[in-house]
Amino acid sequence: MYHSKKRVGIYGFTGCNGDQLVIIHSEDLLLDFFDSADIKFFSLAKSDNDDSELDIALIEGSISSQEQAERVKEIRSRTGFVVAIGTCACYGGIQAMELGTRGWDQRFRKVYGDNYLSNRTPIESKPIDVFVDVDFYIPGCPIDRDQFFYCFSHFLQGDNPVFPDYPVCYECKLRENDCLLLEGQLCLGPITAAGCGARCPSHNLVCLGCWGHVKEANVSAEFNLLKEKKFSTDEIKRRFRIYNGSGMMKPLKKILGVL
Amino acid sequence: MNEIIVEPLSRVEGEGGITIKIDRKKVKEIKFEIFEGTRLIETLVEGKSAQEDVSITCRICAICTVSHRMAALRGLEKALGIEVPPKVDLLRRLLHMGELIESNSLHVFILALPDFLGYPSAIAMAEKFGDEVLKALSLKKFANQIMSIISGRMIHGENPTIGGFGRYPDSQQLIDIKKKAHQFIEFAEYGTSLVGRLEIPSFFEEETLLMCCEPDGDEYGLMGDRIKISNGEVVDCEDYKKLTNERFCDHSAAKHCLYNGKPYTVGAIARMNNIGERLKGEAARLFTEYWSDRWRKNPLFNNLAQTIEIVWALEQIPVLIDKILKIKKNPDIVPPAREEGEGVGAVEAPRGTLYHHYKIKNGLIEKANFVIPTGQNLEDIEKYMRRAVTEMISNEHDDEQIRKQCEIIVRAYDPCISCATHLVRIEHI
Repeated sequence: MYHSKKRVGIYGFTGCNGDQLVIIHSEDLLLDFFDSADIKFFSLAKSDNDDSELDIALIEGSISSQEQAERVKEIRSRTGFVVAIGTCACYGGIQAMELGTRGWDQRFRKVYGDNYLSNRTPIESKPIDVFVDVDFYIPGCPIDRDQFFYCFSHFLQGDNPVFPDYPVCYECKLRENDCLLLEGQLCLGPITAAGCGARCPSHNLVCLGCWGHVKEANVSAEFNLLKEKKFSTDEIKRRFRIYNGSGMMKPLKKILGVL
Repeated sequence: MNEIIVEPLSRVEGEGGITIKIDRKKVKEIKFEIFEGTRLIETLVEGKSAQEDVSITCRICAICTVSHRMAALRGLEKALGIEVPPKVDLLRRLLHMGELIESNSLHVFILALPDFLGYPSAIAMAEKFGDEVLKALSLKKFANQIMSIISGRMIHGENPTIGGFGRYPDSQQLIDIKKKAHQFIEFAEYGTSLVGRLEIPSFFEEETLLMCCEPDGDEYGLMGDRIKISNGEVVDCEDYKKLTNERFCDHSAAKHCLYNGKPYTVGAIARMNNIGERLKGEAARLFTEYWSDRWRKNPLFNNLAQTIEIVWALEQIPVLIDKILKIKKNPDIVPPAREEGEGVGAVEAPRGTLYHHYKIKNGLIEKANFVIPTGQNLEDIEKYMRRAVTEMISNEHDDEQIRKQCEIIVRAYDPCISCATHLVRIEHI
């Protein structure tokens, strides 16, 4: 061995655990994954976990309590390279779809009443980069297995992977799908980051935007296009927000003045 | 006072822990704590369309993504007056079995078995049980392929929609699934015998109530509009609130459930107990061989129940696929018959009965309520831990042994904390 194995921790905050499960679902690669690095923390998969210094932390889920905010800062403080995995960690995920509308207190009371939790202090769900610096983002709801392992093997070499910065329409064209937007359906392909291989359009279903927005997405052009197709502002806004969490706050404010 | 704290609880899905307080050899407090952040999903689906809901609520949980989708589809299609054609129904059942096999094999072989064989993880277990771990992983992979083919993705596949499917799988893909299902039966039977050989401690046993969906007809299954209880009662799923009686607990972001003031258990163990006599073939043989009265008293038999269910699903898959292949025409998506209505969808998630309840007005959701299997199991989980700890203190067991035993009890329930959390609703009466 020329160099010792990279020390890796896999953490989950608020979400469905789907991104960690994608790693566990790698079946053929799972034993290699554990072999390729020194996995210090992965509480979904093993019992012998410790909170020691890390070279790489893979963090899933959004931050939705003060305790989680403290925990993610603590992880950051002993980690060299922090990766946000999944749309929740990157943008806040579905639980952040109302981010910025100031309705959270009311919604919390609607679900929990005037009760309070003795062991946690809940806050509105936010992506992890609100609390700590993030070195790399791997979006997806859930993340794509191949894209993840491609990135992970680069991280192990101390490299930054080349990542698609084009919309999912590009992948959709490669698959020779008919354009659902042209057919008059509310497809979010043009503003959504590629990476899934255009799965939904390949099943004749519109893109829901679960990968989050693509870099430099032309949100207002998509908005106007959908308006032309006779979709209501409410419906368009609703769809834009479902998976985009923090990512749609600015563009929507710019287009509509309000969220 | 002596405190044993297990946090985070490993090899379960989601963020939880156990706190045990012991005061002068007496159990003072036992809590299965749930720390998962609140997502307030029920408020997020208000004002959304039925189709948007299906895509949002499946994301409550990655392990039970198909069950959430099925419960949502059942509830919403009832509300909208949609009846799907047989081919759609059969493909959904096939998809649901994929999830059952995946989830059960993940739980039994990767998350729970290391407890009984004395390893911190399945990876560590692989050194001595390499064949078993590899075969379990390939069984999981097969189940994931079923979900991938039918739903379009291993996790949160969007292909099953309100009223049908976006695209139908090719016949050849289905024929391949059928072939592979046959090949895995032998390992599934071996897995059952492996788990069946494990010594199950009896010192904390006590009879409990068991609940599950009662499928129409006379077959074992994962869906039904009636709920069967082990005391012989049968209740319509529309009356689910009477069964579950959710209440708030300050140490848990998931609400606890009681039926007539009593804790109860849902999951594979409840299904086997309540409708196990409906099994056929090899699964029936295994059920007869292993089932005993102790299953009503001891949650650790859930692991064994899950392995028998894997055998059941593998035997059912070829039967289902033959039926699907006979229907050549791929039906179009059925549009809603109305824009207003109410519906409760009840299905069996791998870890127990799951309810989605919707009220729809002008095509958008006005109100939604979800009751989750793990929430229903929380009272029984704490009850069995309390019984175990009480007994172990009087027999001079040390903290480490107590901690391990409690973890084994919690894990046997295959708790799904992502699901169980944030789905709490306080009813103001």
